[in-house]
Amino acid sequence: MVKKSGWLVKFLAAGLAAATLGLGLTAQAAEKPQDPKVFNIGAILAMSGKANWYGTVMSQGILQAVDEINAKGGVDGIKLKVSIGDNKSGSAQAGVDAMNRLIDIDHVQAVLTSFSPPTLAIAPIADQKKIFLINGGGVSQALIGASKYLFHNRSLASDLGRAAAAYAQAQGWKKMAMLSWNTDAGESVVNVVKPYWEKLGGTITASETMAVGAANIDTQIAKIKASNPDFVALWLFSPDPGLAMKRIRELGMKQPVLGIEYTADIQKIGGSYMEGYRYFSDYFTPSAANPWSEAFYNGYMKRYGVAPEFYAANYYEGVYVIADLIRRARAQGGDYWHGDKLAAALRANPAVDSVYGGKMVFQANGVAKKRVAMFVVENGKQKFIKYVDIK
Amino acid sequence: MSLFLQLFVNGLIGGAHYALLAVGFGLIFATTRIVHFAYGPIYTIAAYVAWVTAGPLHWPLPLAMLAAAMVAALLGVFSYQFLYRPIEERQGSTLVVLIASLGLFIVLENLTGIVFGTGGQTVAGFEGGIHFIGPVFFTTVNVWQIVSVLILVPVLAVFLRRARPGKAILAMTDNAEMARIVGIDTVKVSMLVFALGSAISAVPATLILLRDGANPSMGFLAVFIAFVAVVVGGIGSLRGAVAGGFALGMIESLGLWQIPTEWQNSISFVVLFLVVLLRPQGLFGAARR
Amino acid sequence: MDYVLHILVMVCLYSILATSFNLLIGFAGLFALSQAAFYAFGAYATAILSVKLGLAFPLPLTAAILFTAAVGILVALPAIRISGDYLVIVTLALQVIALAVIVNWHGLTGGPDGIRGVAPLHFLGLPLDTPRRFLPVAALAAAAGFLIAWRLAHSPFGRALRAMRENEAGAEAVGKNLLYMKVVVFAFSAGLAAVAGSLYAHYFTYVGADGFTIEQTIYILAMVILGGTGNLWGSVAGAAILVVLPDALQFIHLPVEIADKSRLVIYGVLLMAVLRFRPQGLLAAAAAGGTRGALTPLAVTQGGAGLLDPIAPGEATLSGAKLARAFGGIRAVADLSIALTSGRITGLIGPNGAGKTTAFNLLTGFLAPDEGEVTLRGRPINGLKAHRIVGAGVARSFQDLRLFARMSVLENVLVALPRQSGDRIGQVFFRPFRVAREERANIARAMSVLAFVHLDGKAGETADSLSYAEEKLLSIARLLATGAEVLLFDEPLSGLDPTTLTEILPILRELARSGRTVCIIEHNLDVIKELCDEVCFLDEGRILAIGTPERLMTDPELATRYFK
Repeated sequence: MVKKSGWLVKFLAAGLAAATLGLGLTAQAAEKPQDPKVFNIGAILAMSGKANWYGTVMSQGILQAVDEINAKGGVDGIKLKVSIGDNKSGSAQAGVDAMNRLIDIDHVQAVLTSFSPPTLAIAPIADQKKIFLINGGGVSQALIGASKYLFHNRSLASDLGRAAAAYAQAQGWKKMAMLSWNTDAGESVVNVVKPYWEKLGGTITASETMAVGAANIDTQIAKIKASNPDFVALWLFSPDPGLAMKRIRELGMKQPVLGIEYTADIQKIGGSYMEGYRYFSDYFTPSAANPWSEAFYNGYMKRYGVAPEFYAANYYEGVYVIADLIRRARAQGGDYWHGDKLAAALRANPAVDSVYGGKMVFQANGVAKKRVAMFVVENGKQKFIKYVDIK
Repeated sequence: MSLFLQLFVNGLIGGAHYALLAVGFGLIFATTRIVHFAYGPIYTIAAYVAWVTAGPLHWPLPLAMLAAAMVAALLGVFSYQFLYRPIEERQGSTLVVLIASLGLFIVLENLTGIVFGTGGQTVAGFEGGIHFIGPVFFTTVNVWQIVSVLILVPVLAVFLRRARPGKAILAMTDNAEMARIVGIDTVKVSMLVFALGSAISAVPATLILLRDGANPSMGFLAVFIAFVAVVVGGIGSLRGAVAGGFALGMIESLGLWQIPTEWQNSISFVVLFLVVLLRPQGLFGAARR
Repeated sequence: MDYVLHILVMVCLYSILATSFNLLIGFAGLFALSQAAFYAFGAYATAILSVKLGLAFPLPLTAAILFTAAVGILVALPAIRISGDYLVIVTLALQVIALAVIVNWHGLTGGPDGIRGVAPLHFLGLPLDTPRRFLPVAALAAAAGFLIAWRLAHSPFGRALRAMRENEAGAEAVGKNLLYMKVVVFAFSAGLAAVAGSLYAHYFTYVGADGFTIEQTIYILAMVILGGTGNLWGSVAGAAILVVLPDALQFIHLPVEIADKSRLVIYGVLLMAVLRFRPQGLLAAAAAGGTRGALTPLAVTQGGAGLLDPIAPGEATLSGAKLARAFGGIRAVADLSIALTSGRITGLIGPNGAGKTTAFNLLTGFLAPDEGEVTLRGRPINGLKAHRIVGAGVARSFQDLRLFARMSVLENVLVALPRQSGDRIGQVFFRPFRVAREERANIARAMSVLAFVHLDGKAGETADSLSYAEEKLLSIARLLATGAEVLLFDEPLSGLDPTTLTEILPILRELARSGRTVCIIEHNLDVIKELCDEVCFLDEGRILAIGTPERLMTDPELATRYFK
């Protein structure tokens, strides 16, 4: 009753998306491409369970992208069809279940994945069946190299954490207190930032953890407060930075708080306490300078009645990455519609258009280098401060 | 020292929340012996009802809480009337009832997600004040959480001891068979405790909505904690449920004073484990079994 | 169709889990909700040994089974002291704690990342890394697991388990070693779950804590309940249904955003509907436990001839000296001395609360005396566990009978027969022929015991379908079947009509005539007068008088005490 059933509405995109996608490699004289009737792609998302919000947001981005592409006639005249599986908010077993189904029933060659345990569990299947995988959700160290066909169009969480630490050092802050998720996503940040910060000459006064969606984090915050840090770093993901921010202020802490994620849900939970929250994240904000981002933003608003989260942007973008790779692989001709051909096309030219603006470049480890920026929350809205270079 | 004081007060606040959850769940469990798993999602739905009424509909908070309590009570009675009772009439064991309740849990939780959306919800514009005494900070909602226990528990205690239906509840808790023999309509009493217990859960639900917001999966931990608190405190004892709730709150808070917080989820279970092994009747369950 | 084969692999894994869980909750009646933890230990042990130590099959599997079985034995220890709701809670707590340890022990378990890169199983150099190749192994393991569970459940040991499920004290009173049974069944259940865990690790090549949460235990529990507790085929059916159903629901096409939640709603509704209309589960437990067919062809020895080996009368058998026992300051028994003689029927009388049943409990090891000594033919037996005392030759019945209600009449007696090699788990699996041979003899013997109490016509019925008088007879038969020479009856005659009394009294006399030592607690003074050779008058926890029934009943002081 709250969400608009906008998924029904066929969205007719303006002619912007095509412009960003038109070019691929110059087609060589190749054998005739063996085209499928339709390009089946899949997604394995948190469609139920306690992290269901992610699945909702990500699937909305995916559906929008598929509809946009198909409205323009598909990829080289062939339509995309997406099937969405459920990983039950991060269950490895559910992920494998969905993967087998997507491959066998839906005959997909590319899968958009999310969450570490299911992604790790489907990686061997992807290797075996040569399925292209792209993950636009949290990227932890454990995911790097899990499959040779696995790519990530989101910055490593630990890179974002390092950006935050570097900023803190530039401010002259010495004492850091951390609150992290007790998941691979949270821990991979701690594992990288802790030595990095100590190398920068800082000290860590408290390193607390919380369960995803924990109901009670008062103890953690009280301990952080008692450790009297110069600032607090939140290695948390949506919506828990909101809860943490609220508690930090409610317990009377005035110190600055740094984080690596900000979404509408975080804002909703944190409310006015979010003011002054500084975070470092993949930079997504629609702007006139980047018409694709505006088209996406407006299209999303029209379909769903809310502004897109960057998770929606990432999975929207993931579909376009796949479409672009299909086009490139097809240009090579032959029996091109296979995940390994898509991966090869990406490795051949790792630069792909990004809805965030410009191109993103996939590095050898499969992680796209995206523009990371610093933001601050002001009047309940994100405010762009500056781009950050991660060294 | 100020950390200790803060943790102590946090423990009291958390304990107040758990205590109310435990009282509602314990009332149902002790009287009917039904492990009412669906208590969790009913609590969730209560929070969402409070959100709809207090948020988009702009009802005053007490009215919103009342609406939440009424919906919860209805759902509680329905689950007894249309699920648990038929199973009991067909001689299903308590374990079967438990699994059926789990089915209801799955249904209600997912329906909540479908109807209200999957993100968290907060009452827009509600802002409780922040107060402090010395180094100890707390919010207005925290005060309400404590006060709600101080009001509800004595009222319930008086109701159970003095009022006729209350006495019937106690009699059935003591010995359902005997209660039937002396002419108490145990079905009616069961419906009453399902209504009462579920309605009570609406109070912590509304307060947690104001404190942290509501989300569709908040019910699992709530019913789990309630169950644990009831056993720790002693089944069949109102005092026990309250004490169990506060004990868990304190353990969760003060227990982590020196222990790393990564053990937060398990520390209460370690205590639970020890309590049951060393004192299986619970902290306050000495009189009854 | 890898997808279908994958689902079948999952059905195999869950059928192992559900059958192993059924052993615990369905057969032994131990509601220990930590099955997913056992599953996890199997999976993690395999993953750690395979990834960190590079060990190859079958070492990780063997180690996983042994390690998890050992953990199972540890879990059995709290189950000795507590039962019911409390065992549920303790084991839930263990499950949560075990998972927390797994998630927090980074060095060993990989923490929240889990362990990836577990080597797949190999067969003749072929990696079993697809569902198609893995399925035969999974099916084989499921079949083997099922056979092991089946053998365990349908052996004399399994019968004893069910007796324990029905009534722990009752099982102890017929000489069953509860500690041994609990330890064994936990070890087997945990070990079998570890097989599933080990297969999981090799199949998924990835092990993470998310797969072994409390929800997983509940999922397996739902399979057992849905299929029917105490029925192993039911567990297989439950596993198949609950694994296949969610996948089958995938074929219902729904709007993406609500699809999977709606499927879960349907799943929950179906689960509720089945239990609402068939609470015993899809397949109900077989009540007579497979011995039903064996009944008819037996030649039954009538009247108990050859059933009771004669024992020399007039010898001192069981005696208690200066026994005392207090409960929280109230001395239920204080300075009680009693001596029983073979071939005689001794009555124990006294007002309510005199300490008669407590005296029985002290004499039979169900309670440890605070002071005093119990001897059997001069040998001290206090300090022995109750089941050992039964083995030594002293058995008792209960005022509230404590029959094994959902077992057949025959089984109630059969389970009480002494020295069954089928009670030992090693014999069940390694000397099956001997166990089977003995079982045939035991069935014949049990039938003659039933014939002795005129219940042989009801051998195939369940105990809870008997009339009150028949229940009393069955409890006598069960006591008799223990082969004990000292038989303590706690109010065997109360509440019976005169006709039934005339049926039971001769049985008790017959027992005494064969040299058994008989002691009964009784309120009916007419019965006492008619039956007993000697009467002890008990009040306030001590023997006030011993003598013939006639003498005691004419004592005016005792009369006032008795009727006060």
